[in-house]
Amino acid sequence: MPNRLRTLLASLCIVAAGGAALWVATDGLRVFTTETARRVSIRATPRLLPDVALQDDAGARFALADLRGRWLLVDFIYTRCLSWCNVLGGDFAQLQQRLAAPLRDGSLRLLSISFDPAHDAPAELAAHKRRFGDHGIGWTAARPLDAAGLATLGHAFGLKVVEDGMGGYVHNASIALVDPSGRLVDVFDAGAPRQVAAAVQRRLAQ
Amino acid sequence: MSVRALLWWLPAGAIALLASPPLRHALETSMTAQMLLQLPLLAVLGGLLAAALPTHVRTALARWDQGGCSGLLLASVTSLLWMLPRALDAGVDLPWVAGAKFLSLPLLVGMPLALSWPRMGFVLRGVVCMEAIASCFRLGWLFLATPQQLCSNYLLGDQQRLGYALLAIGGGVFVLLLGRLIGGRWTLPAGEARRPR
Amino acid sequence: MAALTLYPESERLPRGERITFNLYMISALLLFVLMMVLGVIMRMGQSLWLDVPPDLFYQVLSMHGAGMVGTMSLATTAVMWFFLRKYVRLHLWAFLANYLLFLCGALCIIGAVFVGRYAGLWTFLYPLPTHAMGMWGNGAAACFMVGYLFIGVGSLLFYLDAAAAIIGRYGNLGRAMGLQWLFGGTIDPDHPKAVVASTMVVIANSLGILAGAVVLVMYLVAIAYPEFTMNALYAKNLTYWFGHMYINATIYMGVMAVYELLARYSGRPYAISRPFLWSWAASCVFVIVVFPHHLLMDYAQPRWVAVTGQVVSYLAGFPVFLVTVWGALTNIHRSGMRWSTPSRLLILSMFGWAAGILPAILDGTIGINRVMHNTQWVPGHFHFYLLLGVLPMVLALLYHVIGSRRAAPPDSGADRLGVPVYLIGGMTFALAFLDAGHMSVARRMSSHLAEWIPNDRVGAIGASLVLLAMVYFAVRIIHGLLRAPGAESTAHAAG
Repeated sequence: MPNRLRTLLASLCIVAAGGAALWVATDGLRVFTTETARRVSIRATPRLLPDVALQDDAGARFALADLRGRWLLVDFIYTRCLSWCNVLGGDFAQLQQRLAAPLRDGSLRLLSISFDPAHDAPAELAAHKRRFGDHGIGWTAARPLDAAGLATLGHAFGLKVVEDGMGGYVHNASIALVDPSGRLVDVFDAGAPRQVAAAVQRRLAQ
Repeated sequence: MSVRALLWWLPAGAIALLASPPLRHALETSMTAQMLLQLPLLAVLGGLLAAALPTHVRTALARWDQGGCSGLLLASVTSLLWMLPRALDAGVDLPWVAGAKFLSLPLLVGMPLALSWPRMGFVLRGVVCMEAIASCFRLGWLFLATPQQLCSNYLLGDQQRLGYALLAIGGGVFVLLLGRLIGGRWTLPAGEARRPR
Repeated sequence: MAALTLYPESERLPRGERITFNLYMISALLLFVLMMVLGVIMRMGQSLWLDVPPDLFYQVLSMHGAGMVGTMSLATTAVMWFFLRKYVRLHLWAFLANYLLFLCGALCIIGAVFVGRYAGLWTFLYPLPTHAMGMWGNGAAACFMVGYLFIGVGSLLFYLDAAAAIIGRYGNLGRAMGLQWLFGGTIDPDHPKAVVASTMVVIANSLGILAGAVVLVMYLVAIAYPEFTMNALYAKNLTYWFGHMYINATIYMGVMAVYELLARYSGRPYAISRPFLWSWAASCVFVIVVFPHHLLMDYAQPRWVAVTGQVVSYLAGFPVFLVTVWGALTNIHRSGMRWSTPSRLLILSMFGWAAGILPAILDGTIGINRVMHNTQWVPGHFHFYLLLGVLPMVLALLYHVIGSRRAAPPDSGADRLGVPVYLIGGMTFALAFLDAGHMSVARRMSSHLAEWIPNDRVGAIGASLVLLAMVYFAVRIIHGLLRAPGAESTAHAAG
């Protein structure tokens, strides 16, 4: 076989293998970032959430599994946050109005979980809700009771938290949707409460 | 120890050192350090490993790599994969992807490039340089213009610093090459004849 | 000084070279005719002589723009190759690769426009291509961008091969451009002008292609990753850096035909001079930085960029233009010019370039640009120098080549008629655009006001005359190119 043909053959193999690898690595040229990958994977295969012990903003203890039987919108926050958590807090306050009916009849619950449990005691969590004008229906702020619980939750939700070098954190702020059987089924952008409300209403109507 | 063994063990040892937890952690805490130090260093060490290959292996490889085409393709495809933000994240988070990173950058980027570069003609080398400069500009622009973090593990500020650094590197390489083309002294790769006919 | 043989031995093409050259030129001639048909369709539509729905109009406009720029580049690349290959050792594979990549690119663009209904114009200004409001899909936009990338890579391969050959012969690109003679020293009288021009094109257009390679891929990124939005002003700057360079390079490649051929037809040596080298060196710098003159209406652009654009646009066009037109005039003045179709086309090209540059420079003036830029003044000026300047350079070479294969300059009655028909049609067509600019007729609009229609009809008639002449030239030249080469067959007969 002449060298030219060998080179052509090798090049074709490399292009084919490389193209296949690229196709797999980007889920068919759709997924380029970890965050998109998380969302695509959750939508394709809903994840059953682990049962984790939490403490709410009134100090009461409960388990995540206790909330099954209703839809859940979950965000992750830390109360000292100066950026994305403010957007998320505003989103939840707006969702209280947009989704008032299902929140009132108990078919939906809003849940904010702190990933900074050492600092965010029940008093801080309650203050966080007040700061955004909590309308008093269906919004619980909570913290995991132990580090292992936080790690399990973070893993299940695909939570990413990076120290910002100024004593705070940068995290992949988003709003997750959990179905009544406790499975994580969708993830929405922060700052788009209208779209979140529309998506939830579609689910509730089904 | 023979010279060849030394040529083999020194770069291989350096790669292992880069993969060791303290050094890995140091270079992976920042996106800039990872993309401008860790990944290029791994490729360069792979290039040094090429010198340790026995002659008969090099001759055998050369038959499959006329004009440096296959080696260039292999290196390009592999580096394209490592430019995906998702891959960069996974290389930090998942051990098996990290393993793939520490093996593929030396063996599938640095080594083939080092083996193929001497075989490439002026045109192919020119394409490589242009593409490298253009990629620096593209990635720099992308990192600066994206409102969010592309890599979940790194801060936006880090990403933007890397963006500026890439623009500067692209610009610098570009000016150097242009200056060399216009005013430099040249010895062309073998086969580029001096006079027509 | 080289002897002024009309058909020097060094220009005789061996078989492979001849076939590739024919492929380039026959494809280019056919594409020119097709693109002119599209142009006539648009002018007829505006004249209400033909029913052209608006969505189709913008597709046709996109195809016409991209197609003409690409074809002009294809044809003038062959002009550059034809002359440069006499002085340096070019590789046929690079020339052929450029042709094949051009074909791939052309197919992508044709598919994007006529199958994917892409109508975002050849300048593909962000964010239009990726936000078509349902007129066409992102797939069509991506296909269009990929088409450009193919064409750009093809040109780059050819330029890199040319750069390697030039460096191999002259040491580096600076010496090939004669920079060592700018401030003194004895200029080598045999230093070819085609090498100076080629080197300038290689440098400047490679930069343009680099800008294109960046911005086109960023469009693909924006399509694949919608969260990423480009700064539209950066995108436009890069687009024009690429587009301006690419179309201007066609002039600098085409003008080699004037440098090489004029002296042979006038019979008087056309010497290289220090002003010549200075003007090419200066134009090389200016043409790279002049593109902001396309963005004088972008008020977000910093003021100093706009001012630079205006100042440089005065400087950029002038040096090469002056030295070429002045050189050409002194060369033919009282020279006992051998009048035949190639020499007529050469003179026509000098006229078209000279006359076309005036409206161009006017448009590059901020005060005028503010009023005129979105009018048909702009297509008026670039059609003037592309249609009456650059295309005649290509046609002159082709007539020269078919003459060389018959060993006499072609000059039939039909040829003698074709040139004036082309000139009159072209002038009518271009002046109708310029006059429309004067009347503030909006540029790039499918439907026109009733007051504009008489003007459109004059333009349509002019365009039809050009098309008529061009069809004749294309048939005549393709026939000439395909005939067995006279010089070779006599050699065979003698041997």
